[in-house]
Amino acid sequence: MPLHILLLLVVGGISAITLLLHLLGKSRLAFLTVEDARSAWHRHFPDDDIQDVTVAQNGHAALVHTAQGPGLLWSFGADTVARHLHDFDLIETPDHLRVIFHDFTAPRVSLHLTETERPLWQELMAPT
Amino acid sequence: MTDPLHYPDVVQMAVPLFVAAVLFELGWIVWRGRGGRYETRDALTSLVLGAGSVAEGILLGFVAWGVFMWLWTLTPLDLGTSIWVVAACFVLDDLRYYWVHRFGHRIRWVWASHVNHHSSQHYNLTTALRQTWTGTFTLMMIVRAPLVLLGFHPAMVLFVGGLNLIYQFWIHTEAIDKLPKWFETVMNTPSHHRVHHGRNPRYLDANYAGVFIVWDKLFGTFVPELDGEKPDYGLVRNLGTFNPLRVVFHEWIGLFRDVVQPGLTLRQRLNYAFAPPGYSHDGSRDTSEGIKAKHLVRNPSDSGTPGFN
Repeated sequence: MPLHILLLLVVGGISAITLLLHLLGKSRLAFLTVEDARSAWHRHFPDDDIQDVTVAQNGHAALVHTAQGPGLLWSFGADTVARHLHDFDLIETPDHLRVIFHDFTAPRVSLHLTETERPLWQELMAPT
Repeated sequence: MTDPLHYPDVVQMAVPLFVAAVLFELGWIVWRGRGGRYETRDALTSLVLGAGSVAEGILLGFVAWGVFMWLWTLTPLDLGTSIWVVAACFVLDDLRYYWVHRFGHRIRWVWASHVNHHSSQHYNLTTALRQTWTGTFTLMMIVRAPLVLLGFHPAMVLFVGGLNLIYQFWIHTEAIDKLPKWFETVMNTPSHHRVHHGRNPRYLDANYAGVFIVWDKLFGTFVPELDGEKPDYGLVRNLGTFNPLRVVFHEWIGLFRDVVQPGLTLRQRLNYAFAPPGYSHDGSRDTSEGIKAKHLVRNPSDSGTPGFN
């Protein structure tokens, strides 16, 4: 197959499928309840003993306190990803809190919190 | 002098088929409201990785081709190009695929290349296209050497490898449940391959087959898809990024960071590169055996059931 035809097919195909998926509503983030967050955390860390779960009002993140230490669970597309809060920086911006993990596989998460949630989450996430 | 034997690049030729099949599967899922899940950024990442893999083949394909043609000059054997020879080459190449794939899950150096294929939490036809960009660097091409030395022409070996890859495309779907028993017995199917993509402790390190599932049954790595345990797709430690470059290179970077960290013995450094994924010198991580053992502590009744033998 001539290279320019292959290139056209690949670029056109990727663009068409991506646009179609977005128009079909497949870009929506997973919405978490407390029970969803608990279940999702155990999916990622089955050995952890969960003590408390705080879900963000927008339903896209949860702070999970476990006997093994605190952790953050967040919506990742239609699914979730979780990391223990061992090694991270917290950066405050005008409209969100940014968590910078020192982890090549999960570099950063933006937490969109309400004005009342933000100080509480900062306190809960502070290293003890 | 150029070698006259030529086969078409079937993977490149199949690109329109891949695009059409993804659109068909998506339409089916939307129409029926079941049969799988799609997510925009996940699918985009898979498609970009697929395109990158084709590009890698175009850019670095000469390396494997050069090695195979050199081997071809060494061997006194030439089995010819009859249809039976092509069929035999296909079957033997599938055996080759089984072992390369098994190495891909049991040797971290090879896993670093293969991991991106398992990095999606979805399982649909775009997942099939989430292919490696770094396969050449694993040097697993040497596993094809016996085929060339046995007298199968390098062009034929690459041709049947392409057919193998195309066969595996359609099994990356949840839209097909189980197929007739005779087919499930001999061939790799969506059901068998869903197990392979499962991160459930039961399904780890199972069903490495490409085309014929009989290899797993022969070598003791077959686990059936259980009605009561749906595969949970993705990695044991899922990625928190859709960035294709991070997806492609994350395990290589992790491997090199582990190997060069201070205070290790040479043996520990080699283990970080070549032991099964999850190895750690201080026991801070789990291999698949460790994950299965911990699962059995939590669920002792699973002991002796498929995947926990």
